[in-house]
Amino acid sequence: MSRPLITVDDVSIHFPLGRSLFGTPPVLKAVDHVSLQIEKGSFFGLVGESGSGKTTLGRAMLRAAPISGGTITYDDGEVAYDVGDIGKRQLRDYRSRAQLIFQDPYAALSPRMTVRDIIAEPLEVMGLTSSREETDERVREIAAKCRLNLEHLRRFPHAFSGGQRQRISIARALVCGPKFVVADEAVAALDVSIQADILNLLKSLQRDLDLTFLFISHDLSVVAHVCDHVAVMYHGKIMEQAPTRQLFANPTHDYTRCLLSAIPSIDPDEKLSARVYEPES
Amino acid sequence: MTTTTEPSAGLTAPQGKAEKARDRAKEAYFTASQGQLVRARFRKNRTAMVAACVLFVLILAGFFAPFLSPYDPTIAGRDKGYLNGAPQMPMFCDHNGCSARPFLHGVKMELDMATLRRTPVVDIETRRYIQFWVQGWQYSYLAFEVDLPGETFDMKWDGITFSTHVFGIDDGFVHLFGTDGEGKDLFSRTLHAIWTSMAVGTLSVLIAFVLALIIGGISGYFGGWIDSVIQMITDAIRTVPAIPLFMAISAILFEYAPSMTAETRFFVIASILGLIGWPTLARRIRTHLLAERSQEYVLAAQLCGASASHVIRRHLLPSFTSYIIVDLVISFPYMVLSETALSFIGLGLKDPVNSLGVMLKNVSEADVLMNYQWEAIPAVFFVVLVLAFVFVGDGLRDAADPYGDKR
Amino acid sequence: MSMPQTAPLLSVRDLTIRFKTDEGLITAVENVSFDIAPGEVLGLVGESGSGKSVTAKSLMQLNGRNTAYDPASRITLQVPDKPPLEVLSLKRERDMIQVRGGAISMIFQEPMASFAPAITIGDQMVEQLLLHTDMDKRRAKRHSIDMLDRVGIKDPDKRIDQYAFELSGGMRQRAMIAMALSTGPKLLIADEPTTALDVTIQAQVIDLMKDLVAEFGMGILFITHDLGVIAQTADRVAVMYLGRILESGPVRDVIRHPAHAYTQGLINALPKLDDLDAPLTPIPGDIPSPLERPSGCVFHTRNPNHVPGSRYEREVPPMTEVSPGHFAALFPEDVPVRA
Repeated sequence: MSRPLITVDDVSIHFPLGRSLFGTPPVLKAVDHVSLQIEKGSFFGLVGESGSGKTTLGRAMLRAAPISGGTITYDDGEVAYDVGDIGKRQLRDYRSRAQLIFQDPYAALSPRMTVRDIIAEPLEVMGLTSSREETDERVREIAAKCRLNLEHLRRFPHAFSGGQRQRISIARALVCGPKFVVADEAVAALDVSIQADILNLLKSLQRDLDLTFLFISHDLSVVAHVCDHVAVMYHGKIMEQAPTRQLFANPTHDYTRCLLSAIPSIDPDEKLSARVYEPES
Repeated sequence: MTTTTEPSAGLTAPQGKAEKARDRAKEAYFTASQGQLVRARFRKNRTAMVAACVLFVLILAGFFAPFLSPYDPTIAGRDKGYLNGAPQMPMFCDHNGCSARPFLHGVKMELDMATLRRTPVVDIETRRYIQFWVQGWQYSYLAFEVDLPGETFDMKWDGITFSTHVFGIDDGFVHLFGTDGEGKDLFSRTLHAIWTSMAVGTLSVLIAFVLALIIGGISGYFGGWIDSVIQMITDAIRTVPAIPLFMAISAILFEYAPSMTAETRFFVIASILGLIGWPTLARRIRTHLLAERSQEYVLAAQLCGASASHVIRRHLLPSFTSYIIVDLVISFPYMVLSETALSFIGLGLKDPVNSLGVMLKNVSEADVLMNYQWEAIPAVFFVVLVLAFVFVGDGLRDAADPYGDKR
Repeated sequence: MSMPQTAPLLSVRDLTIRFKTDEGLITAVENVSFDIAPGEVLGLVGESGSGKSVTAKSLMQLNGRNTAYDPASRITLQVPDKPPLEVLSLKRERDMIQVRGGAISMIFQEPMASFAPAITIGDQMVEQLLLHTDMDKRRAKRHSIDMLDRVGIKDPDKRIDQYAFELSGGMRQRAMIAMALSTGPKLLIADEPTTALDVTIQAQVIDLMKDLVAEFGMGILFITHDLGVIAQTADRVAVMYLGRILESGPVRDVIRHPAHAYTQGLINALPKLDDLDAPLTPIPGDIPSPLERPSGCVFHTRNPNHVPGSRYEREVPPMTEVSPGHFAALFPEDVPVRA
């Protein structure tokens, strides 16, 4: 067993709901005492329905959401950070090691920048390259890896379809050479025929660049195909986590079973028999 | 290219050419920046394009007003012999035959025995020919003067002085739009008034805009309690009714500084308009900033460690320029309207200065309305100017919406 | 096509829809023909840009002002005991009322869109009933409560006085279905009704719709991009790509024996839970922009089996019957032989 890259230890994330003058305001427990470990080099799936807290947890690992309790640690062998309590200079370095791929390939790209500028922005912001030539070289390299046509780098995002835009966002996230990538519903907005292409691309990039992925999705069948370890979230809590094969072959938690039963089969004769999950409490 | 490849190239040329042209057009669209797309969309909007042309002509006319107008628009250029005179249309033919050069008949002032007023009478036997490129009254561009108490900071530069005018007449005066009660040429006054009104508008929009950008920008970028406090102040200012406030401010100013020169008055009016006009603009800028700040690409930039200044410079400002231009153009006619309204009720600019409001005020007298309707010609220009701005503003707004025709 | 026993409720023939845009005339739907019988669920599957929503909207003439219908297009609505109605010949808003909310109802992906935010669900349902039926206010309210109860909303007499934003996503979708069905439409158009829902709620909505078809017997045009949802709900399916129907037929036959390369590609691209080792096979390339519709067969640019220079590049293949009631846009010599 290799060492964990990300260790989430008893993490809670609470958001205050409105303000109250007296007493403590009510809080939304977006993430509630969650612990998990993401092995280095793994493709870790985080599944849940809307409002389960999966996006918040993913953002907290990138320090884009506040952590109310518990610790998240990052350790890639070279450096180790306590993500919840990280200095300004360290955060800069951490940003180049942990990146995010967005769901909506339309909103995540600035309509006013060329593809080259979009992909180059992280390099320029972090000052990772010393000259424009070096930046261009890195941009071309990663764009080629993401199977983007290099002649299209001068274009603006409005020239591209959903799948191509998602490839641009992936290239942008990977240009600074991160070790850990959070893909938040990275294929949810794409058409079926394109979705498989992006999933295959993520898989091959993981192998080539030695990446660790946290793949957040609501779609169990997609997660089943790309991830090697899966955690199922419901109302801010992890219901079950196991290696993918084990989880799908033999789900132990009732919620996982309900979730699996709700997926409509493509076989018309395999009738849908969805059960509604009722938490025992 | 070698000679052997030429024949085959020639054979495939017709299809290849059309395809290449299409590819080029496509690539041009794909590599077009937002600014270019906005311009292309604006050009397709016919109303806005017509309005833009009209506006351009008006601005040119305003800028070249001294050159285009034959007479000094102030009292210095009055035509004593043609008070409240009707417009004169140059003609090419009369009962004595035709001429290639347009001319006017002579005018004499005679005492009307019925009304006992001296009225101009046309003498159809004499001809006065229109001349082009004539020398006349002097005017200068870029002249400025600083006259502060003491003498150290006083500066004066006469600018570049000209005395050439596009047209004039042999003998006497030509009044295309007629004259007012003091004999000032209405054509010259209208052209100068367009410039003055636009200058007041520009100055007040700029003042309002700088305030709005700073206040709305702080409010929108930082949010939180800063935003709440600023919004409270903004709302308080917005609730003050404009006209009574104008009246109060001008009353105070003119009470304590009655000897203000026309220029000072001009700056005071523009500043008042600017100081009152910013809250609406500030609120729009704030709303836009708030919306833009929560865009995913801004988060994406922040996630790679971008500083606030990088986000503002690289993402917020560029996304902003189109909105800013649109906002400025849209708020411009309101400034012109306010200036006109102020001057119309007598609190703004005053007679020796020519603004559209001042000229409209003159028309409100019953005597003028009944007898000298041509003095309302500036009103037409006023309406056209405001409409042109409104249409251009609307067209720009439609064109600037980044995903207007997508999604 | 099939279903010869009963006259079709809705018959669409050679529907061609173009949009006038700044870039020129865009063909959104081309030569689309299908029938829906009473009590039948026709699934319309397609990806973005396939024209499935445009087709649905045309049935109620809900497309924008820049829409141009080809003169040969026919949409005939045949409600039993009423003369057939040519939907595209209705020009005035007043005439459209027989179709919109009368014979045809529509439910949308985003239920919030069909509820006015400042009116209670009940008021909106009652208003619609007063407009389309001869019920009085009291009966309309009672009927609305019955309908809410029917779609599985608990405490319908309390819910009816609530606003749409007070309900959860699944409840809202149920309320919208109740509203759409309350006027007793003969045809229900469901435009991606489950796409915005979580899987567990989606499963409930699918179950509900199946029950409602059994009970009310109306025809349903079910539009979705999800083949799994179609397999679970539809009797027949039509697969659309870039404005054309490429394959249509009974849902079992189409999914088990897809004849067209596009349908095969769609099925292969789906991640399947029962075989985790199966590689995901994307359809190569990207969906072309509507401005650059390929000539001939619209799919030939992405077809992995396409032979360059073949007639699919120039000629539009006809709808060829591959098995009873199952058609595919193929030249007859390319129809796959079944073992």
